[in-house]
Amino acid sequence: MNYPFWDVGIGYGILMASIAVIHVFVSHFAIGGGMYLVIAEISARKRNDSMILEYLQKLSKFFVLVTVVFGAVTGVGIWFIIGLLNPSATEVLIHNFVWGWATEWTFFLIEITAALLYYYSWKKISAKAHMFIGWVYFGAAWMSLFIINGIVAFMLTPGKWLVTGNFWDGFFNPTFWPSLWFRTGICILLAGLYALLVASLSKNKDFKTRIIRYNSLWVIIGLVIMVPTLYWYWHAIPSSITTAAHQIMTMPIEAIDLAMWFAGAIFVLIIIFGFILPRWHHFVIAVVLMLLGLGTFGGFEWMRESIRKPYVIEKYMYGNGLEVAKTQQYEDEGYLKQIVFRTGNDGADLYRHACRSCHTINGYRPLAPAFNGTDKIFIAGMVKGASAIKSKMPPFMGTSQEANLIADYIYQRIDQRPLNEVYPLQGVALGKKVFEIRCGKCHVMGGYQDNSESLTGLSDEDYNDLLDNAGDLAEQMPPFTGSDIERKALIEYFKSLDKGGEK
Amino acid sequence: MNLPTYDFLSAPLWLITVLHIVTLTLHFLAMNFMVGGIVIILFGKLNDKWNNPVIQKLIKLFPTAMAATVSFGVAPLLFIQLVYPKQIYSASIINAWFWLWIVGIAIISYYFLYGAAFTKKMALGRSSVYLALALIGFLYISFVYSSTLSMGERPDIYKALYARVQSGIALNPDIGSYIFRWMHMLLGALVVGAYFVGWLGKDDERVFKIGKTFYLWSMIIAMLLGLVYLFTLKAILVAFMHSAAIWFLFLAFILSLVSLYFYSKKKFYTTGILMVISLLSMVSIRHIVRLIHLEGIFNPATTPMKAQWSIFIVFLICFLFAVGIIWYMLTLFFTKQQQAA
Repeated sequence: MNYPFWDVGIGYGILMASIAVIHVFVSHFAIGGGMYLVIAEISARKRNDSMILEYLQKLSKFFVLVTVVFGAVTGVGIWFIIGLLNPSATEVLIHNFVWGWATEWTFFLIEITAALLYYYSWKKISAKAHMFIGWVYFGAAWMSLFIINGIVAFMLTPGKWLVTGNFWDGFFNPTFWPSLWFRTGICILLAGLYALLVASLSKNKDFKTRIIRYNSLWVIIGLVIMVPTLYWYWHAIPSSITTAAHQIMTMPIEAIDLAMWFAGAIFVLIIIFGFILPRWHHFVIAVVLMLLGLGTFGGFEWMRESIRKPYVIEKYMYGNGLEVAKTQQYEDEGYLKQIVFRTGNDGADLYRHACRSCHTINGYRPLAPAFNGTDKIFIAGMVKGASAIKSKMPPFMGTSQEANLIADYIYQRIDQRPLNEVYPLQGVALGKKVFEIRCGKCHVMGGYQDNSESLTGLSDEDYNDLLDNAGDLAEQMPPFTGSDIERKALIEYFKSLDKGGEK
Repeated sequence: MNLPTYDFLSAPLWLITVLHIVTLTLHFLAMNFMVGGIVIILFGKLNDKWNNPVIQKLIKLFPTAMAATVSFGVAPLLFIQLVYPKQIYSASIINAWFWLWIVGIAIISYYFLYGAAFTKKMALGRSSVYLALALIGFLYISFVYSSTLSMGERPDIYKALYARVQSGIALNPDIGSYIFRWMHMLLGALVVGAYFVGWLGKDDERVFKIGKTFYLWSMIIAMLLGLVYLFTLKAILVAFMHSAAIWFLFLAFILSLVSLYFYSKKKFYTTGILMVISLLSMVSIRHIVRLIHLEGIFNPATTPMKAQWSIFIVFLICFLFAVGIIWYMLTLFFTKQQQAA
């Protein structure tokens, strides 16, 4: 709340991913590719294989153009985007890890210099000196990963740092090692995939067969490292977080499932077009493999980002930049007093700082479908009870008046017709929709916070009493403020459950 | 639970400031070589320039200079964010779209430089188009940087702007406060570019002459623009005159003038040393101006210090290692190349 809020029509998640996923896809290749180049060069020189050496020289040009330009600048781009989207979290990271980053910068300097020298010195310096530069490149690139990995892993599992505030406790956090080795596996996988892309353009069929098989081996080695280390990584995450991912917000599970499907598809394609039919390995297949690689890695990053919710730094700072340490202050003084940059529209300012970093009204993770046809009291109730919603939302710690201001802001931007007009349904179908909209955010029939048993076998009077007193049933539960038509339909739906109706 | 704080500096402020100034100077050197060099190649009057080996060498060096610009740019960006997060992030959010486009434009410009360097037979058409497009990109980047960092010193401006526009499309409207500084820096880039053109072309009288002309005239115009910029400081001009900045200014002015003499005598090591000290002085002036602007609003010296010496020592060792290994690799590269030749 110390910073202005960039109110842009695109979702923050998409903005972040558009730079970060592409950057990591290139930067991890920059590491694995370095290892690939030097190992392949050693092997080719031992066998005096001029064709491979020529191919490696071509690959190193591609490598420099992709990593030194795109990889390096998008790396700076991550600085730009995190500073715009979550300046508070960036500030926390910079203050705590500035010398980690500065150390990483020294390896970055070595890496860039070595990459350029490696490319420009083919056939110009001795083989031994050339390979030495190659090893220096790889060593520096991997050290760069070593350091950045510590800071990135910290955000999910700050571990003892939460108590000690010590740099090393934060850096060597619980997921540091599994994440490092998993990422090393990805580096090797990507080295193979990028090399396959370049190799697929080769016109010499015998050579192509040979190099495709060699590159495919890199992909397989990468996958073999990734599988156990991913298991290790998952189990290094505190069980409270992984359990919540299974039970409350399943997005990380879906993301990692997707990543595994993509990895499986890579495995199958590599077996077929890498080992069994390497001559059939076409540029299109190489591109498909690259996209699957992007999907695999993107899935992992998506899991890592989403499993952290509602925090951006676990148990330290929420995704909307609110600080756990200031909970009491927010509760005592409200949010508005903390917002440094005000626009004169309190509802808008509150909405931006409390909700907008994860939601838009109609676009990314939209709020309108969740609130169309409802009312201000209901919306305010949902805002106040945000942490009870079946999702991992930061708690609302502001005042009731501030919740009302947010509700009013949202209400002005949604479909204000009655719910039965927004959704032209009747009877049980309408009742089911009313349940989904008004109750389903915190209660899922047969699932999360299921209370269907308590809803069966009641009389009309009991149901009406229940709805009349809904707001008193639990602290975070809003009162029932639906129309008589909604009430009637909802009761019909409850009754249908008794008769084995669809939940 | 008492959670760790984050509002602290993990090393003494003076140390961070020194690192910031030194790395920013290196960033400017690389960037100025590139920007100044491109302008001189495009606008310098030289017959058959695209076949001139010095020009070709310069064009082939630009991508490496860009790599150095990016690499040396990372560190000062890190340090300035560490000390002035509120100012930097706030200003960049106000003009977020312009700020973010720097990334895309830097990538495109970088590829244009490679396009020019990889053009097999350098020709007026393709090479000049690549270089011109890269130059447009660099002008954009430098302008947005000037605009954003100037706005960071004026909380009154960015707060008022934010109250009106929240979508990140508002550039610093107080253009008078930074346009002359931006132009002064561009002319400064020409001075540095001209230095390298003269140095690389010291054996080619025509190229040397172009370098010398650009060195002289861009220095004179840069000085005049710097003077105009001083007068735009208005309210803080008196404070500026009473600060150490005036001594740095005097030093930069004298050293720049002296460097003209050594340049004309083709004493490029001496000229280079004088130019770098001048540049260091000007970066220091920039730092002092920022402090004066922020006086009464934010004083970085009030940020508590919670030293992290263990990781700082690791950084120092790695930094020395980096210098050593880079030096060794360069020696390997140039010595072996000479042996091969």
